[in-house]
Amino acid sequence: MLNLEQYELGNGLRVVLNEDHSAPLVAVNLWYHVGSKNERPGRTGFAHLFEHMLFSGSEHVGNNEHFRHIQSVGGMLNGTTSFDRTNYFETLPSNYLALGLWLESDRMGFFIPALTQEKLDIQREVVKEERRQHYDNVPYGTSFERLLNLSYDPDFSYHWPTIGSMEDLGAASLDDVRNFFTTWYRPDNCTLTLVGDFNPGEAKRLIEDYFGPIAPGGTFPPFDLERKPQGAERREVFESPVQLPRLYRLYHLPKMGAADWIYGDLLSTVLASDKASRLDRVLVHEKQIAQDVAAYILPTEASGMLMMHATAREGVSIETIEQAIDEEIAKLASGGISEDELTRARNRAEIEHAHHLENYDERADIIGMFTTFFGDPEVVNTWLEPYQNATVDDIARTAAKYLVPENRATSLFVPQS
Amino acid sequence: MIDRTQAPTPGAPRPYHFPHVTRTTLANGLRVLVAQNHNAPLVSLRALVRSGADHDAPELAGLASLTADLLDEGAGKRDGIRLAEDIGLLGGTLGTGADWDASYISLEVLARYGHEAIDMFSDIASRATLPPDALERVRVERLNELLQQRDEPNAIAAKRFSGLLFGKGPYGVPMVGTPESVANIGIDHVRRYYGEHYIPNNTSVVVSGDVDPEQAVKLVEESLGNWQRGAEPPRPSVAAKPVESNRIYLVDRPTAVQSEIRIGHAGVSRSSADYFALSVMNALLGGIFNSRINLNLRERHGYTYGARSVFAFRRSAGPFVVAAPVRNEVTTESVQEVLAELRRIRTGDVEDRELNDTKNYMMGVFPATVQTASDIAGRLLDIELYGLPDDYFDRYRENIGGVSKDDVERVAKKYIDPDRALIVIVGNAKQVREPLGALGYPIEELDIDGNAIA
Repeated sequence: MLNLEQYELGNGLRVVLNEDHSAPLVAVNLWYHVGSKNERPGRTGFAHLFEHMLFSGSEHVGNNEHFRHIQSVGGMLNGTTSFDRTNYFETLPSNYLALGLWLESDRMGFFIPALTQEKLDIQREVVKEERRQHYDNVPYGTSFERLLNLSYDPDFSYHWPTIGSMEDLGAASLDDVRNFFTTWYRPDNCTLTLVGDFNPGEAKRLIEDYFGPIAPGGTFPPFDLERKPQGAERREVFESPVQLPRLYRLYHLPKMGAADWIYGDLLSTVLASDKASRLDRVLVHEKQIAQDVAAYILPTEASGMLMMHATAREGVSIETIEQAIDEEIAKLASGGISEDELTRARNRAEIEHAHHLENYDERADIIGMFTTFFGDPEVVNTWLEPYQNATVDDIARTAAKYLVPENRATSLFVPQS
Repeated sequence: MIDRTQAPTPGAPRPYHFPHVTRTTLANGLRVLVAQNHNAPLVSLRALVRSGADHDAPELAGLASLTADLLDEGAGKRDGIRLAEDIGLLGGTLGTGADWDASYISLEVLARYGHEAIDMFSDIASRATLPPDALERVRVERLNELLQQRDEPNAIAAKRFSGLLFGKGPYGVPMVGTPESVANIGIDHVRRYYGEHYIPNNTSVVVSGDVDPEQAVKLVEESLGNWQRGAEPPRPSVAAKPVESNRIYLVDRPTAVQSEIRIGHAGVSRSSADYFALSVMNALLGGIFNSRINLNLRERHGYTYGARSVFAFRRSAGPFVVAAPVRNEVTTESVQEVLAELRRIRTGDVEDRELNDTKNYMMGVFPATVQTASDIAGRLLDIELYGLPDDYFDRYRENIGGVSKDDVERVAKKYIDPDRALIVIVGNAKQVREPLGALGYPIEELDIDGNAIA
């Protein structure tokens, strides 16, 4: 059990403290409840571009100085953007806690004065290179983008990936940056988590000193996302410069944390994780038709997704792969799983959770996640309970209910003819 | 009121000590190291076999890594599927692999199953069954993997750079092998490699995490104490081919929207007395985010998402290489900027603040990189692999702190040579060929397998 203390500042900033003196380090972690989900068509990729901007200095911190301040005292830092949130974090030698709070509060409260067109232009180029490196210049690089496009209607903002489109990145303006900051980067849209070697009384005083004076924002813009059922399977075949055909699939699930989402998580482990998992065993080891197979779920807030992909071996058609996968899913939905399979899936969830808690930075991040998505950091202490209570029937029922054609999108990457 | 215009002054630093290590050598020569840590209810078991792909003959390249791949295909009384099932019941994750210097086994489990895990781990290390039918399957998987790499700019650039620098032997032919060499490997080769190298007197076992050290040693001894020792394998040495002058090797990838750039030459072996000075110099040059090369290419010019430099410290000298993916249009400028940074670091223009920032980063970040059972196990394997003293990690920060400006300048001059470098570019030849000509270096065009194109 983690010992957590949570409270809120007058301006709405949520604070969670987890004191632990086993290493002379402190993790400072901020989750802003904004991600690519909050973007609008025409400005896709903006939340992530904005994250880059937040490293380019604030009123009292020069360009590139944020990184320098932290690295030069032996700290590690980064930030990431996903559909639902943007996180910023540093792990510092514990005597530098105040430094981390100073830097984070400066960009939360004093970002706008340091903004310049030149900084935006450089970071826009850097992000375009990031897109080229991870999406456009590598085999299968656009698979996630294509699958999201297929799976979600244009008015549901999981329709596009966090990286956004080149065109929209090009269109982003300084006004966009200012408006995005004012709308979303405010204490009442943020959770600050500290984990590690600090004195709670002193930490609270420092947090109040640095973050207390920052004004809360006004009302949040109306924001409503409701995914409509697909109705029928969505499919595409995409010719691309790849050597081996690959199937990508997305099955819709309820929101993260719902019982069926948890069962979906266990189900993904039963389907594809180690050699003994269903799809791995049949497609890779017995029939030897697939090069690899994977199934996993993503921690998404607005709608759940169970992802799957499988690569055909040279000379094997993608139809053969798809048919074999569908046969295994049908078998699982009608025949269920064994108690041993469930035990293995539960154990995997347990060890993954233990891993998240093992070092301070990941622990702070997962606490930030639970606080942001579920409103309560204590979920970290009860997270595994529904996994432990799941039954073999729950898993079979979940497979039968969700792993059906009308609830999925399939994108097939095939070599160019 | 706090003063926001200044960075806050730090408190007093808190002491840090690398975890205590219990060390034993069994009668058969197996070295056992145990480090206790209660951060999580996990146990990490690792074996380090001090032989890797450096033993692979060119015509059998891929042998060490295929051998490692086959370790989980059956061991003791279990076949591969049974092994995976039983490890899953322990909440375990098994990994096996080989690099140039060594082969590895790692098994991480929930601490309450530590006892059972050591049994299975011992089977994999000393009683792998290496079934022939599994080799056939793994071979086809490997051939498919090699096929896929033909589309991956990163993999193409790495292969061409290493091949040009080291030729047709270890470090030059990929560790994963080539289609021809992988086809040559038979089960007898695999079993011979396993028999000659996976022996107790060539192996160290590390147990890290939520364990009782005395109990852990006892369990390892029970399950691996009767593992038969063998003749200690030789340690092959590898040498790079000399590079006489700068030359560009261009590999065409007509669909490319970025050029994968590799610039470098031979590096330095792990045993070098200049190791700490080189580590600091490289961090400052291109090893960390705020390094010269990354700040130049990314933050000043916006040419790349990230550029870095690396010394691959191996038993013999691995490469020194700068790697940067950049958009097609700025390929030539990026090569120029990298070469300029390599020249500049040799002039001794390092400033106090820059050097101190870099050293403070390396010293300060160390405790944060050894928080988990698995991190600690990894560090202990380094000690074992390179014969480092037991107090190495306790003294690491002191050694980094001792590097001076003169040291940085000296090792830069000694080990970095911007006039005798290989420049490999995997990109859109039609678009970058002509601009690259402006650099004045000879350009040789290669296909993705490294054959010259007339």
